[in-house]
Amino acid sequence: AYAYLFKYIIIGDTGVGKSCLLLQFTDKRFQPVHDLTIGVEFGARMITIDGKQIKLQIWDTAGQESFRSITRSYYRGAAGALLVYDITRRDTFNHLTTWLEDARQHSNSNMVIMLIGNKSDLESRREVKKEEGEAFAREHGLIFMETSAKTASNVEEAFINTAKEIYEKIQEGVFDINNEANGIKIGPQHAATNASHGSNQGGQQAGGGCC
Amino acid sequence: MMTSVPPRKSWWTSKKTVKVIRSYPTFPSLNAWEKFRGLLPVDGETNPGVGLGVEEGLLCQMVHSPEFNLFPNSVVFESNFVQVRRSRNWKEIYKASNTMALGVTSSVPCLPLPNILLMARVKWHQGQSQTWNRPSRAPSINLKSILPLKFVELQIWDDQERVLRLRTVTEKIYYLKLHPDHPETVFHFWIRLVQILHKGLSITTKDPTILVTHCLVPKSLCSPGGKTELVQKKSKGLQPSESLTHLMAQGESETLSQIFSDLHQQKQYRSEKMHINKTSSEKATPCEDSIPCTCDLNWRDAFMFGEWERENPSGPQPLSLLGTLAASSRPRLSLTGGNSI
Repeated sequence: AYAYLFKYIIIGDTGVGKSCLLLQFTDKRFQPVHDLTIGVEFGARMITIDGKQIKLQIWDTAGQESFRSITRSYYRGAAGALLVYDITRRDTFNHLTTWLEDARQHSNSNMVIMLIGNKSDLESRREVKKEEGEAFAREHGLIFMETSAKTASNVEEAFINTAKEIYEKIQEGVFDINNEANGIKIGPQHAATNASHGSNQGGQQAGGGCC
Repeated sequence: MMTSVPPRKSWWTSKKTVKVIRSYPTFPSLNAWEKFRGLLPVDGETNPGVGLGVEEGLLCQMVHSPEFNLFPNSVVFESNFVQVRRSRNWKEIYKASNTMALGVTSSVPCLPLPNILLMARVKWHQGQSQTWNRPSRAPSINLKSILPLKFVELQIWDDQERVLRLRTVTEKIYYLKLHPDHPETVFHFWIRLVQILHKGLSITTKDPTILVTHCLVPKSLCSPGGKTELVQKKSKGLQPSESLTHLMAQGESETLSQIFSDLHQQKQYRSEKMHINKTSSEKATPCEDSIPCTCDLNWRDAFMFGEWERENPSGPQPLSLLGTLAASSRPRLSLTGGNSI
């Protein structure tokens, strides 16, 4: 059982490594050749933050526009988004603004967005400097990390740091955990204890499952 | 894994937004249900779809649960499959306790055809009936993917062995054998579904007797042999009202209604000989597994025109849009003689 469930969505251009990041995070393996994602694929993993079990429900979306037809509506109800670009492809970085607009337009304003420059293992082919990623993140109020789904560098951190940020927002009362549109659900066990919190009106039972 | 099951609602009553007048008998004859009477729940479940495990099953419960809260007003038609691979006989890929739940639903209940395919991995406990939709101990079920049906080709691949072939536009192929715990009736529903998705219903533009004047897909997709050209985009939204009213009056995904209505017409299936399949030997054509035929390319090309279809419209869709959902796959997909979508 989990205390909270956070819904994540992974977005970004096709081929930047979204599915590989998910696979590395959930299965701790790297698959060099990966099929194009159609629609949405799912992954889930439990993590622990502040002694609490948190289930991450991760929605891996299609990057290729022609396969994205149902995807946009799935921004709704996401607590976190991983916005991924490929450090070896400048165009994927240039498209970030579009992705960000898309995300902001279709999601709740409190959604935590982690900007990820993936494929950091391919230093020799780098086209986007780390500083550029940092600057973009700073400018748009995002968290930033460079990762490698291949070597697993920073992959755990990217997912977990996003969760920490969401968790902090819950603690600060920024997220209304009773509003499902925020992408946070209270686990079955936690719901009872949370009922006494001031922010919880009515002690909802929002669990419905565990991993 | 699901640990709790959301409150159950009767599909017949609670999921309707518009009352549908049905032409089939309200209750099936007792004889018709004889063959799967044993599957009916002990508490006297009156909904035959639920009894058969094709309605309000594990997949439906999961996607409608607060954890996913997907397509809450849409019916899900689902069954349990075993993933197999081709050899002399079909061989199971995973242990018997691992199955795949496959279902179709609509992102918007009023669509005339389902447009979403759901796939989930299910891990059952030892000795558990694998088609039961309300097991005392919930199996572990993990939703793997949501696929727009327009990117998927479904075929009845081996009707004797009750095998479906599912192929995605990216050439991912699954052979899925209906779980042996499902009665024959359930496979007939899948045959019927594939038929409907392929040929359409009377209200969809796949029905050749209905003239479609506005279509946003390339003409070649609407009329085989035509040149590939986009038909007037500005026609989108024109003349929708009368047909839309008709569609909305259905108030439900018509295909799923049709499937479930077939539950009430059991006897038809016994006499109905589906012209869906060729023999196993006929199926073994050179291009069946991986090499796309020319018609496949047409099929795949069709997906490049993604702008004409939205699976999650925020409001009612004009007929032209709904029509293309149905029309886009009509002429091209019979690779090996099986029905396909």
